[in-house]
Amino acid sequence: MTVIAGIGFTAPWLLLGLLALPVLWLLLRAVPPAPRRVAFPGVSLLLGLRDDDSISDRTPWWLLLLRMLAVAAAIIGLAGPVLNPRTGQGGSGPLLFVLDGSWAGADDWPKRIAVLDTQLEQAARDGRPVAVLNLTAPQPVAFQPASALRARLPGLLPAPWQPDTQAGLDAISASDRTFDSHWLGDGLEYAGRADLLQALQARGAVTVFQSDQPVLGLRPAGFQDGAVQLTALRAGQTTAQTETLLAMGPDPSGTTRVLARAELTFDAGADQAQAALALPSELRARVTRFVVDGTRSAGAVTLSDDSLRRREVALITGQRQREGLELLSPLHYLTQVLSPTAEFVQGTILEVVPANPDVIVLADVVALGDGERAALTDWIERGGLLLRFAGPRMAASPLGREAEDPLLPVRLRGGGRTVGGAMSWGEAKTLAPFPETSPFYGLQPRDEVTVSSQVLAQPDPDLADRVIAALSDGTPLVTRKPLGLGQVVLFHVTADAEWSSLPLSGLFVEMLDRLAVSSAAKTPQAVALEGTTWRPLRVLDAFGQLRDAGTLPGVAGADLISAPLGPRLPPGVYETENRRIARNVLGPDAALIPANWPGSVPLRGFDLAPQQAIGGLLLALALLLLMADIIAALALGGRLPMRQKGLAVLLLALAWPAVPSHAQDADRFALDATSELALAHVLTGDARIDATAQAGLLGLSDTLYFRTTVEPSQPIGVDLERDELAFFPLLYWPITPDQPQPSDAAYARLNAYLRSGGMILFDTRDGDIARAGGQGPNGRALQRLAAPLDIPPLEVMPDDHVLTRTFYLLQDAPGRHAARDIWVEAAPPDAEQIEGMPFRNLNDGVTPVVIGGNDWASAWAIDRDGAAMYPVGRGFAGERQRELAYRFGVNLIMHVLTGNYKSDQVHVPALLDRLGQ
Amino acid sequence: MSTVNALRHRAEAEASRLPPLLARAEHLAGTVLLGDHGRRRAGLGDDFWQYRPVQMGDSKRMIDHRRSARGDQQFVREREWQIAQSVMLWVDQGASMRFSGQADRGQKIDRARLLALAVAVLLVRGGERVGLTGTTLPPRRGNNQIFRLAQAFTQDDAQDYAPPEHRAMIPHARAVFLSDFLGDMEPVRTALTKAADRGVRGVLLQVLDPDEEVFPYQGRTIFHSVGGGLRHETLKAGDLRARYQDRLAARKDELQALCRLTGWHLGLHHTGDSAQSALLWLYRALDGGTR
Repeated sequence: MTVIAGIGFTAPWLLLGLLALPVLWLLLRAVPPAPRRVAFPGVSLLLGLRDDDSISDRTPWWLLLLRMLAVAAAIIGLAGPVLNPRTGQGGSGPLLFVLDGSWAGADDWPKRIAVLDTQLEQAARDGRPVAVLNLTAPQPVAFQPASALRARLPGLLPAPWQPDTQAGLDAISASDRTFDSHWLGDGLEYAGRADLLQALQARGAVTVFQSDQPVLGLRPAGFQDGAVQLTALRAGQTTAQTETLLAMGPDPSGTTRVLARAELTFDAGADQAQAALALPSELRARVTRFVVDGTRSAGAVTLSDDSLRRREVALITGQRQREGLELLSPLHYLTQVLSPTAEFVQGTILEVVPANPDVIVLADVVALGDGERAALTDWIERGGLLLRFAGPRMAASPLGREAEDPLLPVRLRGGGRTVGGAMSWGEAKTLAPFPETSPFYGLQPRDEVTVSSQVLAQPDPDLADRVIAALSDGTPLVTRKPLGLGQVVLFHVTADAEWSSLPLSGLFVEMLDRLAVSSAAKTPQAVALEGTTWRPLRVLDAFGQLRDAGTLPGVAGADLISAPLGPRLPPGVYETENRRIARNVLGPDAALIPANWPGSVPLRGFDLAPQQAIGGLLLALALLLLMADIIAALALGGRLPMRQKGLAVLLLALAWPAVPSHAQDADRFALDATSELALAHVLTGDARIDATAQAGLLGLSDTLYFRTTVEPSQPIGVDLERDELAFFPLLYWPITPDQPQPSDAAYARLNAYLRSGGMILFDTRDGDIARAGGQGPNGRALQRLAAPLDIPPLEVMPDDHVLTRTFYLLQDAPGRHAARDIWVEAAPPDAEQIEGMPFRNLNDGVTPVVIGGNDWASAWAIDRDGAAMYPVGRGFAGERQRELAYRFGVNLIMHVLTGNYKSDQVHVPALLDRLGQ
Repeated sequence: MSTVNALRHRAEAEASRLPPLLARAEHLAGTVLLGDHGRRRAGLGDDFWQYRPVQMGDSKRMIDHRRSARGDQQFVREREWQIAQSVMLWVDQGASMRFSGQADRGQKIDRARLLALAVAVLLVRGGERVGLTGTTLPPRRGNNQIFRLAQAFTQDDAQDYAPPEHRAMIPHARAVFLSDFLGDMEPVRTALTKAADRGVRGVLLQVLDPDEEVFPYQGRTIFHSVGGGLRHETLKAGDLRARYQDRLAARKDELQALCRLTGWHLGLHHTGDSAQSALLWLYRALDGGTR
C-alpha cells in the first residue's frame, strides 16, 4: 500500500488518470451541448432570424467543474484509497507487551484490550513472537506466536492493586533474549516504574501507549463535624470537572440502591475535590460503599466499615449523679472513652431497651426489678452486649452468690478482696498476658495498670472458659458468657479509678474497642489488631464490583492495616466476630500522580481509528455528481420538464430534514392508548422479539375479546425512554441479554407505574433451559434491568394465589415452555389458611410484577390470519398447553383489572354460613 | 366512424351548455334574435306581426275571426317575414394545427374543430343552414348536416399551412374561418377580399397554443414545422423570444387590418383557455354580423 498525504492507496498507478483531466477539460469545452429538436408551427415566423452571437453556447465553467470533479472522484475512488492506513510498525524480533493492569485502567479496559489485539494482529502479520507481561499478575516472559496469545486476550483482566514491579523485574531478567517492548500504561505513577523502564530499555526499544482518559480515585470516607467527609482524587485532567458521588447501601427491603448523592467539583488545576454528606445516623449505618458515578474502577469506590457506624451505648449507673463530683462519677471514664465514637442513650433500663442500643453499660448496678431483668434478658438474647462493672454495691449484695445470675457471667464470692492497700498484705496486682482465646489477645498488658480491689469469682467448673482477662495471680479480671445471640461481660473492677488504674490506661480504650463497645472512628493501628485474624467478607474486583469473598483465606490483623494490597490481600470488607474493617484501594493519604515518562520514550495514545476504505464513498460521490450533471445539463438545454418553481420546491423537499413533531407524537400516543384499553409491551430493540411480543399480545387481546368483557384494542409497543406508561394495565417485558439499561428518568416512570397499580410481566423466555430469574444470560439481564425497580419481596406463585382463579381455575401458567416457577409478590407473613377455606386470604391488591420464563408471547402469538405463529409442544397436548397459556393470560389481565376480587369471593360461603347461625 | 361520433358527441356536449339560439338571444339583448331572423316586415313566418283591416283581394280564409268578432270591422292577421341564414365554415386542417405545447393540452386542431362544430350545432338548432366553404358540403339545415360536418372535420390535411378555401361562396352569406394564421398571408388576403366582394361577412378566429405566444425555449434548438417542411436552427433560443413575439404581434396586426378592411371580425383564442368563452364570443360575433 502506498501512502500519499496520510491516505493509503491500493492501486496508486490509477492516480495517473488524473493527468488526463486537463485534456478532458479542453475536450468538453470544445464540444457545445447537443441541440434539441422541437416541432413548432411558429417556425414560419422565425425564418430569417439570426442569432446575435455567432459563437455557440459553450458548456458553462461550473458544469465543466462538476464533470471534472466527478471524473476525479471516480479515478481516486478506483485507486482504492484507505483512511488511517495500517502501515507496518517496523522492527522485528520478539515483542513484549507490558500491561500495568491495575485498577486505574479498568475504566477503559476493553479499549486497552482492543489496542493490544490490534497490535497482536500486526505482530502476527509481521511474524514476531510476542509475550504479555501483566504487572499486577506477573508471569515468566515466554515468547510465543501472536495468534496463540490473541486467543487468551479475553482472560486478561485488571487487578485492584498496584503493579508489582519487583516481580516484573524478575520476570524480565529471567528472559535471556532481546526484545522490543510496548508498554500499555494506566497513566499513574507507582514505585519502581523507572527501574522497570530501564530494564526494558536495556533489552530493546520501548514504546508507551497510554490512554488520555483521566483517572479518578476516592479516599476512604471519614467522619467529621457530623458529616461523612469524602475526598476524590484525579490525575490526567486539569480542567474544571464535576462528578456525582453516590452512597450505596441496602434499603429497608434489602435491595442495594443509591442512598444519597453529592456533587464533587474539581476546580481547574486542582487534583482533589471534597464532598461532605450529612446523613442521619440510621442511613449512614446502612451505607456500604461510596462510588463515583459513571466510573468502572475499584479506585473510584471506597467501602465503608464500622468507622461510619456510631454505636449506641446506654450508660446506667446505680449511684445518683451528684453535682460537682464529675471525676468521681463511675461513668466519667467510660464517657470519655466512648464519646468520640458512640452515641449515648439516656434513660432508665426500661426506657432504653426499646431503643435497642448496641451496648448497655451497668456500672455497679445491682438492684434490678423483674421487669427490667426480663427486658434486659430478652434484649441480650437478641444480640445485645451487656457490659457490667463491679463496685461496692455489687461486692456487698447477695447477687449471684448461691446460683449463677443470668445477667452475670460468673458466680461471685461475697465481699470481694482488697490487695496492696494500707490495711492489706501484698501488692496491687498487675495484668497477666491475655490468653489466645481471649478477644484481647495481641494487646500488651501494661505495667501501669494495677488493681487494688476487685470482686472475686467462684471457682466453678466453667470459670476458665469465661475468663478473658486475668490478673497476674490468676484471679479473673474480665469474664464473659454468651446469652442467646448476645453476651454479658463483667469487669470485676469499678468503671472509675477507685479500684484500679485500668480506666486511666490506654489499654482500657483498646479493650473496649476489642469488645466492639466503641468503634474506631479512625483506622485502627496495626498494633491494635495484633493477633487477630480477619475473614474477607466481600472483595472488590478492579472494575469496582463487590463480590462475595467465597473461600478466600483469612488475613492477619496487622497485615490488614499495613500490608500492600495484592493477590493475598484484595481490597474488600473484612470481619472478625462483630467488627468490620474495610480495606480500600486508596488509603487515607493516597495521591494520584500522573505517570511521567522520559522524553526518550515514544508515547502514543490509544487512537484506534480503524482502517477505512473510502473508495466506495468516492465512487458514490462521483455518481451523485454525474446525477447532478444530468440535471444541470437538462436544465441548461431547457429540457427539464418542470418549471423553476416546481424544481425549487422539489429540491427544498429533498433537503428538508424530516423533523418529527414530538409533542404531537406524544398526544397521538396518549389518544391511541387511552381511547380504548390496550395491552402494551416494552420495545427491546430486537425487531424479532418485538414483533413476537406484538403478535402475542394481539393473540391475547383477541382471546380476551372473544371470551370476556374485556375488549382491548391493538397492542402498543412502548418505548420506556419516551412514552408515558400510566395508560396501560399490563406491561409485557420480554428480556433479551443485550437490552440497554433504561435511563434514570425511565426507571422513575416505571417505579411510579408500579406504585400506582401497574403490573409488569417479565418474561426471560428461557423456561426450557433455565429457572426463572436464574443464571442464564436472560436471567442476568433481568437482574440487571430490574435492580433499580421498586419490587417487593417475591415468592414462587403459591397454589392458592388469586392468579389461579381470577377467571379460569388454573394450576400452573405455561407459555411456550411449561416451567412451574412463576414469581409473584410474596404473601404477607401472617397469612394463614382458615379452617374449611380452600384459599388463604392473600395479599391485598395486585402483585406489581410477575416474573417467569415461559415465553408467553410466543404461545399467544397469532399472525394476520389469526393462525398461531409458533408451535407449542406436540400434537393435542401442545394445543392444550397453548389453551392453558391463553387462560393464564386471561387470568393475568383479569387479575390486574379486578384486583383481589376473586380473593374476597371465597369468603362468601363462610359469611353466609355465619349469618345463618 | 367512432372518431366522428366522438367529435360530434363532444360538440353536442359543448353546445348543450348554451341555450338554444333564440332563448340565448333573449337573455343577452332582449331583441337580438339568432337563427330565424325577423325581417321586421310582414311576410311568411310563424310570429305575429300585426292586424290590419281586410283589403280587397284578401281571401276569406285569411280573416282572423277572433279579432274580427270584437267589432264590426274584419281584420287579417299578418305574420313577420322570416328567412334563414347560410353560414359557411372553414377549419384549417393543415399540419401546423396539429400542435400542442404540452402533453396535457389538446392540439389546436382539436379545439378548432370543436368550436366549429359547436357553432354548427347551435346554428342548426336555431334554424340556420350550415356548410363548409368550397363545394364539398354546401349549407343545409338539419341534424344530418351536423353529422356530415363532423365527418368532414376528421380529414387531416398533409400540407403544413393550409390556405383558406374561398371557392363557391354564397353571396351575402356568413362565414367562419378558424386557423392559426401562421402560414402565408397571401391566400388569406385573397379569400377575404373575394368574400368581401361577394358581400360575405364573417369571423376570423385565430387559434394559438400558449407556447406559441410565450416561446418558452432555451439553448441550442432546431425548430421544425409539424409537417417537417420548414426548419430553423438557433444556438440561443432564448435570445429569439422578443423578436419572435414582435413578429407574432405584427402578424396579428396584419390580420386586424385586413378584417377592418373587409368588415370581418377577428378573434383570438388560446388552447389553454376554456372553449366555452370562445364559443360565446363566436356567437356574439356572428350575431352582430346579422344585425
